[in-house]
Amino acid sequence: MVELRLPRLRMASTRPRSAPIVPERSVAGRTLVLLIAIMTFLSGVTLGGVVLVQKSAIAWSSDVGREVTIQIRPVEGEVMESNLRTAVALAEATPGVTATRALTLEESEALLEPWLGAGVDLSAIEIPRLVVVELGDPADADIPKLERDLAAVKGATLDTHAAWRQQLNVMAGTIVVSGLLVLSLIVVATVLAIIFATRGTMASNREIVDVLHFIGASNSFIAGEFQGRFLSIGFRGGVFGGIAAVAFFAAVGLTAGNMVPNEASAQLGILFGRFALGIDGIIGIAAVVPVIAALTAITSRLTVRRFLTQTS
Amino acid sequence: MGGQVIEFSNVGLRYGHGPEILRDLTFRIEPGSFHFLTGPSGSGKTSLLRLLLLSLKPTRGKLSLFGKDVSALDQDSLLQMRRHIGIVFQDFRLLEHLTTFENVALPLRVLGQPESEYRGNVTELLEWVGLGERMDALPALLSGGEKQRAAIARAVIGRPDILLADEPTGNVDPDLSLRLVRLFAELNKMGTTILLATHELPLLENFPFPRMLLDNGQVVLRG
Repeated sequence: MVELRLPRLRMASTRPRSAPIVPERSVAGRTLVLLIAIMTFLSGVTLGGVVLVQKSAIAWSSDVGREVTIQIRPVEGEVMESNLRTAVALAEATPGVTATRALTLEESEALLEPWLGAGVDLSAIEIPRLVVVELGDPADADIPKLERDLAAVKGATLDTHAAWRQQLNVMAGTIVVSGLLVLSLIVVATVLAIIFATRGTMASNREIVDVLHFIGASNSFIAGEFQGRFLSIGFRGGVFGGIAAVAFFAAVGLTAGNMVPNEASAQLGILFGRFALGIDGIIGIAAVVPVIAALTAITSRLTVRRFLTQTS
Repeated sequence: MGGQVIEFSNVGLRYGHGPEILRDLTFRIEPGSFHFLTGPSGSGKTSLLRLLLLSLKPTRGKLSLFGKDVSALDQDSLLQMRRHIGIVFQDFRLLEHLTTFENVALPLRVLGQPESEYRGNVTELLEWVGLGERMDALPALLSGGEKQRAAIARAVIGRPDILLADEPTGNVDPDLSLRLVRLFAELNKMGTTILLATHELPLLENFPFPRMLLDNGQVVLRG
């Protein structure tokens, strides 16, 4: 028999890279990738939805906030045209106001058309008139002064749309909070699924764990080997789910644009904002991918460490 | 590591609340020695080896390895001590998805050594145990004898001070059994302390090493 000389180093021919200690097929890979992809997709869609709602609410609130309306009701003994001119002059003299325009009688009558129907002769009655006041920066506009000044004009009231804006903000806030709650539940469901998958993987790889233990591998090393597998699975699932979420928003935006006529689409855009994620939405969804991958790796590592502590 | 390699003082072992599997074991194994551990099935050979592999702790008495009481060691120290002990099982316990080379290199890999560092040693060891041509074969393609030689190579690649073998010849024919024990004897000549558990008494006749007979949880004969 040849004498054994362990310390002598001899370079062998080039070998392929060593196979992973935890084989890929031993982890419930495909199922878990699919599950994580679905969870990432749901997270991405929820996050995208929240971003869309918030962006629309901010845009709408901002647009509405840049405009206040003076309404002048007909008052017996008062001349409407004179009151209109006074109101316009008072508005123009108010700090922060950039433009003021009194709606013509025809425009005012047209505003009543949806309620009274077309073809109604309104010349016999006096109808309220509106002055549209545009503000530069709503924060700089001296609305209380305008409100005080308008007290001198009989029948004049100022509508700052505050109630609408407040209602809109409450609605948007509710949707955002609900979205974040759903997102949290998705994260919890993902963590639970990973815990179950990791436990199953550990049970089916018990032999590998035993071998690693008796050759002197530390729990940390073993956990690292499994974590590497799960990180790869989490990342792949995350990328698939993230791409699917972005594609979903692109497809829905495209479909919505095609289904609604251009003019209606423009009006809907003004009212509710465009159905487009924007770069911030895409960045948000892209950020979900590493978060899900890290979540998968950390959860599996903690589960493996717990399993090893219990079994060793 | 210094001191007495293995020392049992009134060691007892039981699983849970069951009966004692091992009772009042008191013996000492000197560094560089070779002992056979024999006894009928169920006599406690595997449990004794598991105690030595540090995967179990005695429920009473004192077990010292390398001069240290194992019951007093923390997890880190146990891990460090385990790296000085090699083990060979009857059922080989090779990882089926790794090649012979990768299986043998595993103990060095878990220590964080890069392949470029251990490649030469693993190759040489595989050639020494007669597996030079089977380095890239998966265990499924190896014969029983080849698997056991790969398992032995894996157990000694980290140059352990103690080599434990649990029925290493249980799955091979008598001729190969003889050759495998000779392989252990060669390793012993290089200074490794060896404790080889077997119930194949005829095999022991070919070697001059002392025997420990384990019966009903106690060492009843040491020759």
